[in-house]
Amino acid sequence: MRLLKTPLSRVALFLSAGIGAATLAIGSVSAAPLAITHAKVHTVTGQGVLTDATVIIEDGKILAINPQALPADLAADSIIDARGKTLTPGFINSFNQLGLVEVSAVGESQDSREKKADIIFDPSLAFNPRSSLIPYSRKGGITRNLVAPGGGESIFKGQAFAVDLSGEFDSVLKSGLGVYVVLGGKSKGSRAFDLQTLWHKLEDRQKALAKQEAKKDDKSKKDDNGDKEPKRDELILDALLSGEQPLFVKADRASDLLQLIKLKQAFKLDLVLVGAADAALVAKQLADAKVPVVINALRNLPESFDAMHTSLTSPARLVAAGVKVVLNTGGDTHNLYQLRFTAGNAVANGLSPEQALASITANAADVFHLDAGRIAVGQAADLVLWSGDPLELSTRVEKMWIAGEEVDTNSRQDALRERYLSKSTAPKAYVK
Amino acid sequence: MRKITLPLLAAGVSVTLTACLDTQQQDARVTINKNPYPSSYQPLAQQQILIKNATVLTGTGEKLDNTDVLLQDGKIAQLGKSISASGAMEIDGAGKWLTPGIIDVHSHLGVYPSPSVGSHQDGNEMTSPNTSEVWAEHSVWPQDPGFEAARAGGVTTLQILPGSANLFGGRGVTLRNVPSVTMQGMKFPDAPYGLKMACGENPKRVYGERKELPSTRMGNMAGYRAAWAKATEYKRAWDKYERDYAAGKNPVAPERDLTLDTLKGVLDGEILIHNHCYKAEEMAMMIDLGKEFNYHSGTFHHAIEAYKIAQPLAENGNCAAMWPDWWGFKMEAYDMVQENVAIVDAAKNSCAIVHSDSDSTIQRLNQEAGKILYRAKESGFALTEADAVGWITLNPAKSLGISDKTGSVEIGKNADVVLWNGNPFSVYAQAEQVFVDGAKVYDRVDEKYQAKSDFLLGQK
Repeated sequence: MRLLKTPLSRVALFLSAGIGAATLAIGSVSAAPLAITHAKVHTVTGQGVLTDATVIIEDGKILAINPQALPADLAADSIIDARGKTLTPGFINSFNQLGLVEVSAVGESQDSREKKADIIFDPSLAFNPRSSLIPYSRKGGITRNLVAPGGGESIFKGQAFAVDLSGEFDSVLKSGLGVYVVLGGKSKGSRAFDLQTLWHKLEDRQKALAKQEAKKDDKSKKDDNGDKEPKRDELILDALLSGEQPLFVKADRASDLLQLIKLKQAFKLDLVLVGAADAALVAKQLADAKVPVVINALRNLPESFDAMHTSLTSPARLVAAGVKVVLNTGGDTHNLYQLRFTAGNAVANGLSPEQALASITANAADVFHLDAGRIAVGQAADLVLWSGDPLELSTRVEKMWIAGEEVDTNSRQDALRERYLSKSTAPKAYVK
Repeated sequence: MRKITLPLLAAGVSVTLTACLDTQQQDARVTINKNPYPSSYQPLAQQQILIKNATVLTGTGEKLDNTDVLLQDGKIAQLGKSISASGAMEIDGAGKWLTPGIIDVHSHLGVYPSPSVGSHQDGNEMTSPNTSEVWAEHSVWPQDPGFEAARAGGVTTLQILPGSANLFGGRGVTLRNVPSVTMQGMKFPDAPYGLKMACGENPKRVYGERKELPSTRMGNMAGYRAAWAKATEYKRAWDKYERDYAAGKNPVAPERDLTLDTLKGVLDGEILIHNHCYKAEEMAMMIDLGKEFNYHSGTFHHAIEAYKIAQPLAENGNCAAMWPDWWGFKMEAYDMVQENVAIVDAAKNSCAIVHSDSDSTIQRLNQEAGKILYRAKESGFALTEADAVGWITLNPAKSLGISDKTGSVEIGKNADVVLWNGNPFSVYAQAEQVFVDGAKVYDRVDEKYQAKSDFLLGQK
């Protein structure tokens, strides 16, 4: 980040290139109201798409949509004319290592994995909001992200957590957001053992809890055992069993997905399937069991015997069957900005544009329990103003806000480009 | 002079017996068969096809509106307005775009196929830093379902390369993307071989971990130089043998060396260099290395930092094959800029290529080029669709030495074309029909033209 010392130098750099004037008001705090006017607004709510609409932001939240009049205290320079532009909720990506990795092959910059990691592993402690990946990821209109632990040898990879992409030191929104488990084919060993491990862990804890309850009721048997402090892993299992925490399970093969539906039903879990390559084969069962899936819409090769039926049409088929679908970009943390293109490809292969947009906004917010993903009064003002169709390659971010604060998309990559496009005759190292 | 050619299989060498009556007694002349696994490719069923009123991107920098294209006898026979051809099958191209078939200079389909299981890892002979003797074609599994997926994305030609673990990874092969039971049935007739070289982190990591040379970048350079020095001697020995034999002497042929055969092929100008090389300073040294040993340094692949040396690359006639945005997986891939291809392309006489190196993005090279096109336009580059299509068609054809045959929509060229449902640089674009040598090899709506790998057949 040495190239971009202060927000001011970023502005100067951008102006000197004669482009991107729309990203001037960097870091402006929106305690005072801000109005975005004449926009095409994708609310991703029952209100659908509003044309020539006005959205008012105040104190980090959406204050009003299409009010009778603009707020009296609105400053003239706080009115953004968004004619011809499209406003969407900020996009939400998931199950990558954002903030936990700078360069994948540089071990010291990689904090998502730990051999000894288990269910209590909380990688949010290592989250680095100053990672150069974060401003770059904003180029895709991403405002929030669910970070997944890489974990270690255990099937329990650890705790997922949610962040915003402000780049500020307080950008971890919620740690311990859910437990991440990885199942499926193994080069050595059986997936059955892993399924049993998961099942037994939940079953044993459920029995222990029932026993404690029974003891509580039977006062004659009360002894010191009943007052024992639960262990850290037990507290997490309790949160899964009570439905407070979702259980995220990465699995691909249809038979594994059906086993997991049984698990959900037996323990009344808030189950979310991730990866789910062959989910379309069991779309009806997933819909009936109300199990949402997080999938990468670009996966379409038979990459393993667990993923023999993955297809570009999977998102459309799952949605048609009534499954709640969240799209993500798979594991490539460095290019998670491409989420909108992934959704665009899903549209090219049969998903409706409305469903595609929901799959990277409202659906993700619902499944990950985030206050985001919709343009509605009272919601966090995570907003992106686009030059056109947000899923199209030719479209760019014009402005974006995270919790009402404007952020830019200038990254280290832009600084490098400007340096090497500079007409200066001095050695490039002097061009900053 | 009567020549009888006898294949000597054990030695892999053919010997020509020459009856020579005038001067001294000569032994059979030893020659090396340079094409022992020849192409058996035959175009699929060709038709006379007239595509009417399409928007044509020629690959040569032109965009032709409402244009007709006639495919006949496997070639592009006519290009223009109001063409008629009796008996031709007509396709209404109104609202559709036609481009040359897409060419990927960097693919590992067939050598790292799907499913990605251990038994299929045939792309990297990680047993010596110089494995110039291995040929990727000997690892190609033609049933890789990735070939079908790439064809649905408009890819008609692709180079299959060995991996980048070694300084010299081995020979690459250029294939037609047609279904075939054999590798030879896909092999692009008369395309030159490529030699995969690799700079930077991969070779030094793989061999450094074994405490072997190279463990550093200077070790990489030493490894290349030692190999080229040896190859120079090998070439000198063979050239002398040829010269002496031609002069009627009876020289002893040099001992055959498969590793040096490949390097000699480069020194003879018959095999083209394809060099995995990310960083500006390393590419600059590889250019000099070529000059030191009298070969051309060819195409730089991945070339994350090509934008830092766009001018010297163009001046030296090097192509650079790049991604729009892969980055950050290694230190040498940290300085990515999304406009890399556009900056390289802007230099006079440049050769900018968008490649995939991926079984996924090979299916969307049009979108990969599109991302660059639009980001570059935002940064002030005056680029159009007509320019961008060259990055995935004519320029890769140049890199592979096949631009006289394919890579552009020009009269007389092979009829390798893709008909898109609209502007190919849209996220919603889809290839509707794909032709290789005038034969339809893919049709999005007609299952008859959707091939399926043996591997996927009958899988429930």
